[in-house]
Amino acid sequence: MLRNLQVYSTLTQPFRDPWGFLKERSRNPELWINLVVIGGAVLFLLSKGTGFAITVGTVFAIWAILAVSLNLVVGFTGLMSVAHIGFFGVGAYSMAILTSDPLYEQLRSETIPTFALPFFAALPVSMVMAGLVAVAMGSILNRFRDDIFVLVSFGFAIISFNVFLNWRELTRGAFGIHAIARPAIGGWEADGKLEFLLVALVFLGIVMLITWFIVSSSFGRVLTAIREDEQAIQVYGYRAAHYKMAVWVLSAMLAGLAGGLFASWTSFIDPNSFILLESILMVAIVILGGLATIWGSLLGALVFVLLEEGMRFVPFIPTEHIGQGRQIVLGILLVLLMLFRPQGLVGRYKL
Amino acid sequence: MKVTSKIWLVLLGLLMVTLLVAAACGDDDEEVAAPEVLAPFRIGIMESVTGPGETYGVAGVQAKVMAVDEINAAGGINGRMLEVIVEDSKCNAADGITAYTKLTQVDGVKIILGPSCSGAMLGVAPLAERDKVIMFSGMTSNPDITLAGDFIFRTMTSDVFIGEDMGNLLWFDGIRNLATISETTDYAEGLRREIARKFKELGGQIVGEERYPSDVTDFRSQITKLIGLNPDAIYVGSQSEFTGGTVIKQARELGYEGPMYTDVTGSGPVAQEIGGDAATGVKVINRGLDPNNPVANAFLANFKERYGYLSVIFEMTSTYDDIHITAECLRQTDDDQDSEGFRDCLYGLTFTGALGTYSFDEFGDPVGITNIVLEILPLAQRTEDNLGYKVSVVPAAQ
Repeated sequence: MLRNLQVYSTLTQPFRDPWGFLKERSRNPELWINLVVIGGAVLFLLSKGTGFAITVGTVFAIWAILAVSLNLVVGFTGLMSVAHIGFFGVGAYSMAILTSDPLYEQLRSETIPTFALPFFAALPVSMVMAGLVAVAMGSILNRFRDDIFVLVSFGFAIISFNVFLNWRELTRGAFGIHAIARPAIGGWEADGKLEFLLVALVFLGIVMLITWFIVSSSFGRVLTAIREDEQAIQVYGYRAAHYKMAVWVLSAMLAGLAGGLFASWTSFIDPNSFILLESILMVAIVILGGLATIWGSLLGALVFVLLEEGMRFVPFIPTEHIGQGRQIVLGILLVLLMLFRPQGLVGRYKL
Repeated sequence: MKVTSKIWLVLLGLLMVTLLVAAACGDDDEEVAAPEVLAPFRIGIMESVTGPGETYGVAGVQAKVMAVDEINAAGGINGRMLEVIVEDSKCNAADGITAYTKLTQVDGVKIILGPSCSGAMLGVAPLAERDKVIMFSGMTSNPDITLAGDFIFRTMTSDVFIGEDMGNLLWFDGIRNLATISETTDYAEGLRREIARKFKELGGQIVGEERYPSDVTDFRSQITKLIGLNPDAIYVGSQSEFTGGTVIKQARELGYEGPMYTDVTGSGPVAQEIGGDAATGVKVINRGLDPNNPVANAFLANFKERYGYLSVIFEMTSTYDDIHITAECLRQTDDDQDSEGFRDCLYGLTFTGALGTYSFDEFGDPVGITNIVLEILPLAQRTEDNLGYKVSVVPAAQ
């Protein structure tokens, strides 16, 4: 209880003592870097038009939820996993199947079960489904460590993609699922872009709070200890396997949440959105931002989305080679970032 | 730690300033250019320039850029130039949506030509319907797009028609037991489904179904299994020329001698090259180009000269026509922001171009494009003129 009191006191500090809070925080470079980048980003995007800024903001919010949740596993606990895309996909497909409009499906020759649930009823199910899959995967993954762990999680990422692609009775395979519901409460529906961005940002805030609560509790300190020396913490009587399982499932549920949001945002999903490459991008974002910092993941997602979408404005590439040119520039920028900041933008730990 | 952080901070600040200045400069350029000539018509182009759809996406952009250059060289539209903004929609809904938003919100276009992939189209279509933005694609053939909306058009016929004609052809050729091997993509899978439906309707039997993901290169075990079922013919449904050609080659290497059928990608120039003599006799139903159409022949010759290759012929020609159709309708509406006028123009238009003479039905699908049967010629008889095909008409409905 005492440790939670400490968390609460930190949480409420800005309200009790705003001046002291600011003074303390002003010495924190992470905060300033964040503010500069976020401010610059928002200005840049707004200069390009609010509509585009809102879309990019939504993409950012979804990536940021994913990055923060993945950082729990990769950064705070030190489990290098590329299986996260699987949970993202499970969340997205749960949302799609549960909320897709049955009227729409009747027009198609290959039908799947549809339930036409509202968004907010389906979102917890998305999270639970992702969590359940994570329990199953975790019970196997928990037997491995380090390099083998990465390889096994790699295998899971590929398996999950193939399940989405080939379980046609449930996912419509390569055809994808249409007409996925938007968030709606009562008469209010987030069908406009701005409303959806707000919903996504609220969820991002909740996810950050949850994550922050986890990592600053004693549970979080055990996770850090597992990262530093798993055997040592076991000597003190902690069952590392249980802790790893718990954080694994939690992280997967948050990824499921991101998946649900994503499916609702695009309103159409097919397996192409859940390829292994996306998983590697997620890990790249976490490392880019910095391991074991929540703000870092946020920043990583922001820089990544900004680089990718900002590339659309690179002027010197000829029209016919625009896509390839941008990818090369993006690759070079990421390499440069890693060369000069191997610990990530605001991180303290290297891999 | 402290010092490096500060340097980093400064660097990031500089980066942001540069970006902002670049953004500001971009706006200046347009202001300077405006008073001298009439402002150009601006339309968006979305194709899968990178990712799984790269081969045809790039060809589509090139064909469109060529058409735009032709129009501008001939004096533009009503004295105004045509300007295109190209975006990469990759081959999925999410990237399609960001590309769409960038084009509509940042560039403010109301008419978008593309995308290349049905998945991207189905993701974007609801947004385009809401925003009243024209989506006009030259490549997406998924049957679902027929019902996608009022502002959604294409010069590509639905795969339903290819499926019907392939079913008829199979039955006409005396095939009663068919085995299929297909790539797990929306295009290949959708086409296979349509063919199987028609074939079963006629009384045929599908004795074996195999599927493979796009990144596989060895199909021998799956083909061996199909050969063991002793089918009258094998249908190869591929998404890329590479996989299609490889399946055909490996089937012949494994000693299969019966007839083979495939879709347009399994018979393209790359597939023919991979298949070599193994590809001889493989039959395809494709949307037909009239070999005597001067517009099409001139386009293909010019494209070959400018870019040095020819790939998915019909798709390239189709995207080329899209620009000319757009020019025609812009000539009528004289306003690139008037998407409703543009839509009405398309519904009322009968266009004669590289694909022949055609119009659009109430779903925005093209009417007047007929299918043909292509049979791949023996290696020695393949030339640049016949592109390796013997062309014949589709047998009447069985």
